[in-house]
Amino acid sequence: MFACLFVPDFPVQAALLPEEQARRADLRRSPIVIWDGPANLLQVVARNNPARKAGIEIGMTKLQVEIFGGVIARKRCAAEEEFAQHKLIGCANAFSPRVESTCPGTVILDLSGTEKLLGNLESVAGKIERLAEESGFQLQIAIASNPDAALYAARGFRGITIIPSGQEAMKLARLRVNVLPVKPEMRETLESWGIRIFRALAELPEIPLTERLGQEGLFLQRLARGEIRRELALTDEIPRFVESYEFDDPVETLDSVSFVLNRLLQNVCARLMSRSLATNELRLRLNLEVRQREKGMIGEKYQQAWKLPVPTQDKKVLFSLVQLDLEKQAFIAPIKKATIEAMPMKPRMAQGNLFAPPSPEAERLEITLARIRGIVGACDGDGLSCVGSPRLLDTHKPDSFTIESFSSVATTSSATATASTVALRVFRPALETSVQVTGTVPNLVRFARKYRRVLAASGPWCCSGNWWNNAWSREEWDVALKTTAGIGLYRIFRDRIREQWFVEGIFD
Amino acid sequence: MDAASLRAQIEAQQPYAFAVHKREQIGRIDTGVAAIDGITGGIPLRTLTEICGSNTSSSGKTSVLISLLAQATQEHYCALVDASDSFSPESGGAAGVNFSRLLWVRCGKSMAKLRPLEQAFKVADILLQGSGWGLVAVDLSGIPERIVRRVPLSSWFRFSRVIEKQSAALVFVEQEPHATSCAGLVLRISTMPTTFSANLFTRLNLNIEIVRGPGKKPVQSENSRFSLQTQWA
Repeated sequence: MFACLFVPDFPVQAALLPEEQARRADLRRSPIVIWDGPANLLQVVARNNPARKAGIEIGMTKLQVEIFGGVIARKRCAAEEEFAQHKLIGCANAFSPRVESTCPGTVILDLSGTEKLLGNLESVAGKIERLAEESGFQLQIAIASNPDAALYAARGFRGITIIPSGQEAMKLARLRVNVLPVKPEMRETLESWGIRIFRALAELPEIPLTERLGQEGLFLQRLARGEIRRELALTDEIPRFVESYEFDDPVETLDSVSFVLNRLLQNVCARLMSRSLATNELRLRLNLEVRQREKGMIGEKYQQAWKLPVPTQDKKVLFSLVQLDLEKQAFIAPIKKATIEAMPMKPRMAQGNLFAPPSPEAERLEITLARIRGIVGACDGDGLSCVGSPRLLDTHKPDSFTIESFSSVATTSSATATASTVALRVFRPALETSVQVTGTVPNLVRFARKYRRVLAASGPWCCSGNWWNNAWSREEWDVALKTTAGIGLYRIFRDRIREQWFVEGIFD
Repeated sequence: MDAASLRAQIEAQQPYAFAVHKREQIGRIDTGVAAIDGITGGIPLRTLTEICGSNTSSSGKTSVLISLLAQATQEHYCALVDASDSFSPESGGAAGVNFSRLLWVRCGKSMAKLRPLEQAFKVADILLQGSGWGLVAVDLSGIPERIVRRVPLSSWFRFSRVIEKQSAALVFVEQEPHATSCAGLVLRISTMPTTFSANLFTRLNLNIEIVRGPGKKPVQSENSRFSLQTQWA
């Protein structure tokens, strides 16, 4: 069996979808029209029932509509309709993985094999209607043994229609022929024959009909009888979770952009949730207003991507990451278009480990790290991250390390604490100094603007490396210096390439 | 009326008037230095701790901090807020710090508007707002003493109040103690004559003083001596 979900006045319902539920219910009672076209020739392309009752017709101009008064008019928005269609597919996916997106406002799903899981057909239809209502749609639902019978029944009948197998022709008999995909000239022909409903078309003799209207006429007749059987053209298994918004006028303030980004993220997360997916990578692209330069026009854009340690569906977490990043940026031009894309993946299904140490909440940790990066900066002058976990590099060069991103998941304890040893407090960068040498042993070291006598010295310890590229070569000494606070044990070294002494750090 | 009857009369109206409220038993993290753990029992959780020592002489405060991190990262996630970017990963690795459980925040390295001390305090504040950390260590020993002294007492008080509600230890490493009564434990470490063995620096002899500890008045300081070996000794 196949179920068809049809959204009447789809552009109107799509326009109302972002509204709050109570506000949406109020608006539905008012006449609403959706118009489209060039600014000087706007025409009505869709209207709801109150507008229909008021006498508003498709194709009316803005001027004609304004005569009626009290009519709410909205401009057609492709992004809103696309979002609504995705949401509708999401509703259908909650009941079956085999879904066809037939056209805007119409989806067909295959219910074969779901009887034990979902119950009888009336029950399924009721569940679909309730879920759609929660999602903001008012649907017409039909269930039939073939997709096209379900499609025309949904378009033609209000509420829920269930057509038992074998009764398609009888149930569809009262539908008007104009719901079929009939060309205008053929419609005129049928009209001239007095064929206005499905029953009349279905009862025509096949051979004379084929002689007069060809295969197309025969196809229409089989549609009217509910005899066409076809495979569903299934939607893509993994859709792209992209939402974008183009501003009418480029915006300069962060508040305006944040408001739109919040809404886009809300849509993305809603779509992810409807498919039981999460994201661990979020991409943001902001198109800036094209600026005039001497050699033609060029477009500017800002791109940023965030990789999360664990997949999430939480829009607040994602929005905080985006907002913290944007607060740090200074854009050279107003923002024209914002696009958000989430890379889908299965949500984390991990149970907390009773024997694992308590750890920072993985989802919130990224926000914490982003806030810290906002304070201390993301990278230092050498391109090393300022926030993360250190990792020693496999080299003999002293103070060689890199910074990896910190994560509170899937970490294993590889190191074991050893007996306490003397640690080195490093001066970064190493302090340039001058040293007086007696023989080969340092005698006086200039430190903190004073020459200090070396009480004891241990060295030299020579090391070098990278002779093929960025060569380094040094002669290290551990020296005990007399300071005002006592004895300080310092590590000094002579850079043998630059012939310069440095204080690397203090043993502290 | 004798004292017993008077006490009974008061307790009839106020049952807990003479009850002795014992402090809630709080957990501790070993520092890995036997001498310190022996006299303090370890670094207490839910408490602000200060480890102090001179910046120009080898006082051993960094060694104690790294040893503490090595112990803490075996069981907890830890954060090191490094105000002067002076942490040596080599020393940390040698002490056995589990780097995968260590968040290292290097302050003062970028062109950020705030000064390193302000950065360190703000970062510590953010870290304490979140839960899940076992140890938050703030290393201020590279910041000049005259600047740290200007930190208002209210900041230390706020930290002590926040850490009371967390199951974590908050440790500040400085040249001098500044948190006064806001700190639950104050350790001052100073250097003793150093050992050179046949032209090789092998051992750092240190003295530790508990300036303030649980149940002790500031005047009742306690001293202990210990020594740390170098990696190559």
